[in-house]
Amino acid sequence: MLESRATVGPYWERPLPDDEHLARQVEHGREELLMLDARPPAELNQLTLARMRQTGPRFWMAVAGLGVLTLAFFTAWAIQIVSGLGITGLNRSVMWGPYIANLIYFIGIGHAGTFISAALRLMRMDFRRPIARAAETITLFGLACAALFPIIHVGRIWKLFYMMPIPNQRELWPNFRSALFWDMMAITTYLIGSTLFMFVALIPDFAMARDHTTGWRRKVYGALSLGWRGTDAEWHRLEVVSNILSFVIIPVMFSVHTGVSWNLSMAIQPGWHSAIFGPFFVVGALYSGVAAVILVMIVIRKTMRYGYFMREEHFNAMGIFLLILTLSWIYFYFAEWITNWYGNLPMEKAIQAMLTGPLAPLFYLMLFCNIVVPLGTLWSRRVRTSLPAMFVIGILVQVGMYVERVLIVAGSLSRNELSFNWVNYTPHWPEVTVTVGTLAFLGLLYMVFTRFVPIIPVWEVYEGQAMQETRRVGRAVVSTRTEVH
Amino acid sequence: MADFLLLGLFDNVETTADVIDEVRALGVQDEQMMVMSNVPYPARFFARKPARLWFLPFVLGGAALGALVAFFLTRVTTNIYPIEVGGQGLHPVPPTAIIYFEMVSLFSMLGAFASFLLQNRFPILTRRMYDERITDGYIGLEVRAPLAVAEQVVSVFEAHHARVIKREDAAAFKPQGIRHLLFWGAVGAGGLVAVLIPLLLTYDIVRIPWINKMDDTVVVGAQEGTRLAAPAESVPVQGPVFIAGEPATAPLPATDVSLQRGQMLYGTNCAMCHGMQGDKVGAEVGKYFPEIPQSLGARAAILSDQDLFRVIRLGKNRMPGLAENLSPGETWDIVNYVRGLGE
Repeated sequence: MLESRATVGPYWERPLPDDEHLARQVEHGREELLMLDARPPAELNQLTLARMRQTGPRFWMAVAGLGVLTLAFFTAWAIQIVSGLGITGLNRSVMWGPYIANLIYFIGIGHAGTFISAALRLMRMDFRRPIARAAETITLFGLACAALFPIIHVGRIWKLFYMMPIPNQRELWPNFRSALFWDMMAITTYLIGSTLFMFVALIPDFAMARDHTTGWRRKVYGALSLGWRGTDAEWHRLEVVSNILSFVIIPVMFSVHTGVSWNLSMAIQPGWHSAIFGPFFVVGALYSGVAAVILVMIVIRKTMRYGYFMREEHFNAMGIFLLILTLSWIYFYFAEWITNWYGNLPMEKAIQAMLTGPLAPLFYLMLFCNIVVPLGTLWSRRVRTSLPAMFVIGILVQVGMYVERVLIVAGSLSRNELSFNWVNYTPHWPEVTVTVGTLAFLGLLYMVFTRFVPIIPVWEVYEGQAMQETRRVGRAVVSTRTEVH
Repeated sequence: MADFLLLGLFDNVETTADVIDEVRALGVQDEQMMVMSNVPYPARFFARKPARLWFLPFVLGGAALGALVAFFLTRVTTNIYPIEVGGQGLHPVPPTAIIYFEMVSLFSMLGAFASFLLQNRFPILTRRMYDERITDGYIGLEVRAPLAVAEQVVSVFEAHHARVIKREDAAAFKPQGIRHLLFWGAVGAGGLVAVLIPLLLTYDIVRIPWINKMDDTVVVGAQEGTRLAAPAESVPVQGPVFIAGEPATAPLPATDVSLQRGQMLYGTNCAMCHGMQGDKVGAEVGKYFPEIPQSLGARAAILSDQDLFRVIRLGKNRMPGLAENLSPGETWDIVNYVRGLGE
């Protein structure tokens, strides 16, 4: 800290009011709200960077555990490549099983990241500030893991490059009239767009890390920060480019999961061929995605001790967000279900009979996880601000949404128009290993990432704190925000 | 006249704004000053003009480039290498719209990002005036001034309790020039290599020998085994029943409707090997199988209707059986259409 000779202090040295009653209110507000609890950036920078370098025994144990599972995943995949998809439980009717369910699931949890960052940014919601990057990181790695599944799922992966629209000696081009190609385009666009969006917001934090580290870290951060100095012109352009990317990426985000749903609904398969599938999938993706963000927030807060940045108010806001999405998901699922039920078509009846028959345990587990628990608990602020409760709810929503995808993909496929093609699907060991291993892989990537990249967008927190103050109204002190744009 | 670069660090916006006013009064132009901070303070906090922005041309240019890529994918490639699939034209509008949307979005984002880099001259490869305490929340003010003015500026800085004052000869800070060109040249070369590698693979210039024992895996066997029998009470939906090994009965008459249906079904199920006219023209898959007859019509002419029916249902040599894709009635429609090919 430098010696201060100035009369007016910086924004983090705002004096308390003289009146004791008001001062207590201000202190209470600082305890509650991150935006009011401004501390010297020097201190917070050190906090952020110090936590990034902490790798205790438990960290390494987690790395080892996840690493072993990841290794198992790649081994299983290698065996599957050599032996062919025959070693999986996939068969002619259920040719899309957990692999495609995983694709949908991982894109789903990647969904909320950009939504929280881009949409809440455009709407100027302050609660996004400390959690935006944690959410974006899920998008990045969720999409990266999801992108593995089409590759895992196809038989001859060494022919993969024929998927890309590049010239080749066979004079064959990907057929743009195929829903799979639309989806590939959407995912590619989203992955590139999300990476750019995330990187742009990272530049000032890389500069922060560059200024306060030494050795190789300083060199790497220096290269990544591109020479950022935080000049007024640079900030102005950063704001504008973030807004442009936000506006473009939100419709792309919708197109991604709609594209995923079209992979299914373009086929004339009972249970899939439904116009509501696009928005239904988008809501489902946001639902599991927001739950995933809550889980990650809890883990980051606990393991990296970021209690200063991620407070009750943030869990509360995310809990409300999750509750809204619960209601939206119920609405879409019910609309889809009742249309099929009322239509009374033989094939759709057969699928519904199977969901409530042989697959009933999974079906009711899904309803329990996705409806009963969130709807029964999230209305309470005490639940929303309790980390253990939110952790359990987050896990349950993940389970419920994963089961939902499996039921849609494998469940619907096992019943079709030709009754002699009815089969029941049971996963074999490769699917189980690959699914569990990919989750571990995602966790591993995330853990390692948090040790190299500031997972809290500190400049966004500082911006919020610099622009927020308290104001006296009557006998109360309330927080006010300065709108500068 | 050598210029000097000065950097002062201040506590807050108020002080910095005061300093900027006083420095301006010394005759320093706004363009000679630069505010640095760890928080995006808008320029009007300091009574400065916001920086000029050059996003629109890049975003629009990116969008146009994206539309061009989409045009290439949806129009050009399909015209050069047409693939006939039944039921859809070569350039249907809805899928085209999706590709346009994604490509325009992607390239406008890339354009915005490129514009961001170029406007800021990122990455900055030469030394610049800077102090690491700026990311600790202090506001830096960089002023470029000739020697005489620089001394006055320093006294203004001191009067406002600048925490740090740096002063260096402006000649020590060189423009990026050739280094930047070299950097972007290297980036371009890297991109070119990244494009070349898949081309080497697709043109089989680089061959990767892969282990493959798919032939003897479980599911292939399972698929060739028995399937569930149709329930006893099931009845055929349409047309005559085909019983394996026996000639089918009751062909459909070759009405216009049947021929029309036959043409569409032929396009979906047969044309990729036999070509739309049975002459292998445009048969993207068929051209790798020399045993496919050059003229399907001529080959069909020596077969009876029932033999044709059976070949379509059960397959022959390397041709797969289509019994599960086609109802008996649809098979007859194709038989009728194939008959027409010979005429």
